[in-house]
Amino acid sequence: MAESQLLIPLHVSYIKSLGDSKDDLAYHMTAHLRMNAIYWGLTALCTMGHKDALDRVEVIDFVLSCWDDEAGGFGAHPDHDAHIHSTLSAIQILLTHDALDKVDIDRVTRFILSLQKPSGVFAGDEFGETDTRFSYCAISALSLLGRLSDLDVEKTVSYIRQCRNFDGGFGNTIGAESHAAQVFVCVAALAILDRLEEVDQQTLCWWLAERQLPNGGLNGRPEKLEDVCYSFWILSSLSIMRKVPWIDADKLTAFILSCQDPESGGIADRPGDAVDVFHTCFGTAGLSLLGYPGLVDLDPVYCMPASVIEAKGLRKDWQALHRRLS
Amino acid sequence: MHSGKRVRQTPAAIEARKQREKSKIQDYLALTREVTSRKKSRDFSTEALDLTQTLLQLNPEFYTIWNYRRNILLHGLFPNSSPEGINDLLSSELSMTTAALKANPKVYGIWNYRRWCLENVPDGPETEDGLSHSWKKAKWDRELYVVERMLDADGRNFHAWNYRRYVLAMMPTRRPEASELAYTTRKIEANFSNFSAWHQRSKILSSLWNDVGTSAISSREDEFEFVRNALYTDPDDQSAWIYHRWLVGSGQERQTLEREIGSIEELLKEQPDSKWCLESLVHYQRLLLRNNRDENSKETAQKCLGFLLMLQEIDPARRSRYKEIGGGNSRTKHSMISYHSYLLFFR
Ligand SMILES: [Zn+2]
Repeated sequence: MAESQLLIPLHVSYIKSLGDSKDDLAYHMTAHLRMNAIYWGLTALCTMGHKDALDRVEVIDFVLSCWDDEAGGFGAHPDHDAHIHSTLSAIQILLTHDALDKVDIDRVTRFILSLQKPSGVFAGDEFGETDTRFSYCAISALSLLGRLSDLDVEKTVSYIRQCRNFDGGFGNTIGAESHAAQVFVCVAALAILDRLEEVDQQTLCWWLAERQLPNGGLNGRPEKLEDVCYSFWILSSLSIMRKVPWIDADKLTAFILSCQDPESGGIADRPGDAVDVFHTCFGTAGLSLLGYPGLVDLDPVYCMPASVIEAKGLRKDWQALHRRLS
Repeated sequence: MHSGKRVRQTPAAIEARKQREKSKIQDYLALTREVTSRKKSRDFSTEALDLTQTLLQLNPEFYTIWNYRRNILLHGLFPNSSPEGINDLLSSELSMTTAALKANPKVYGIWNYRRWCLENVPDGPETEDGLSHSWKKAKWDRELYVVERMLDADGRNFHAWNYRRYVLAMMPTRRPEASELAYTTRKIEANFSNFSAWHQRSKILSSLWNDVGTSAISSREDEFEFVRNALYTDPDDQSAWIYHRWLVGSGQERQTLEREIGSIEELLKEQPDSKWCLESLVHYQRLLLRNNRDENSKETAQKCLGFLLMLQEIDPARRSRYKEIGGGNSRTKHSMISYHSYLLFFR
């Protein structure tokens, strides 16, 4: 029953079909994630070597239609408020398509910096909650825009440092429990800022390795269920700390492959569940870091094609598994 | 982004569902258009407020609409209301989000909106017994009850735990930390696997022990007893082992460290292939080697190596880590240099 191969053509057609489901209620109910969904779809396509499966001009036009001129950032959909997460996705999409010249970089930089709080953490939007996820969005976006020099690095790092727990992991605010996705955002943010000495790497890599369950999948916190998206949050963190071999790559590969929908394409959180583009993106991203044959290298710090990041001169000292030939 | 089971539908069934959804989609899109056009024209009326409520009940993740709702209150309704009026408005906002959270306990936007409401509650008049901030106090005091019901439904919901810490920090009348400690005891005793409760306990105790100084010693001993009970109950559950590691910390108190090692060795006798016993023994013995150097070090180092070999067998998924710690991987010796040199030195 479990698939032993990555079904690339099926996943490509699944991602291409996402825009055709306008007669599906769920399509409209997820409009607040549209920008992110396009980034997830595009990144998955790039990882599978099918970047051009979504029309470049259409994608760029959509991104630009989400510009919120009042705030100076991108919303997730036309008429939605600018948000730091959709702004990062917009920048990632445009950079992947070599179209960053279409962005008013000064205004976006001002928008991002305006969301930093006195404590050093970032808010998601004008009223938004604060969260280390948004610190990552800010740091990654500023770095991709070449405007990291405008950031108060000490203040930013100081907040992230206070979110570190005794288990080596990070929470989303000061005092919060360690969570694998928050580990990714904090470790990758510190990697971009060249401040990985803030991480207790031995302890954290132990905690991350213990996320692997007997079925090969990874969970996000102790004694929780496995989920495909943690493959990326954990593998990217381990790649940044050069410790991917600390988990069983073969078992994780088999787990991700078992979450594919072999009939209609796409990857789910767990075997037998309904697929979505989020897990399709992070499942393929995980497989790329595991050296799955035929996939394109993905940069674990920015979660973008490695070639795009290298061309910008932004590559950090991470190490994924070598790409296998078969 | 986490959905349910994949259901295989026939093309006919899909077509039927799409037909059924057609009018729902039309209504939803019409309402969305109506609300966003009112938002654009800065309509801050009660009517607009009601429309956002209908839309948010259909889709609580629509963050833009939560923002609009705040703006309606801030710019339309608050300026024309007495403090009593504002308090009433916010009371009904809080009821609305209570219902929304029951249906959608993991939607960031609802939790966030609820915080905003609480932070905007007016202080209220002085009560007869001279208490100030009466409205504010009443609202915040109720929040712990609300969040406890959420944690009863799902003891690992990190939104609810984060919200709990936020409420505890913001309440006009602070709750003694001892009460929060008792809450974590209840949650842990109900389910030893609830690491969220163990985590909270580590935060509360850190704070308590910082404040009270010397009386912390006996309390620490009680804590070792508490966690030992959990370890013996289910040695395969990692929650208590991770917490135990916090409690031991850097192992500066040699006596405590050696006692804990002894206690785990006892457990290992009962459970000879317990991964967490072995893993923890390696960790604590390495601390012992790092902190103290004496005639027993050689024996301790050899014991560690033996445990690491056993771990490679019983926990093959993490074999590379055990090898590396044992010094088996010469390319990565930097991290374990002190321990590794011990092994070489005594070999
Ligand atoms: Zn997931």
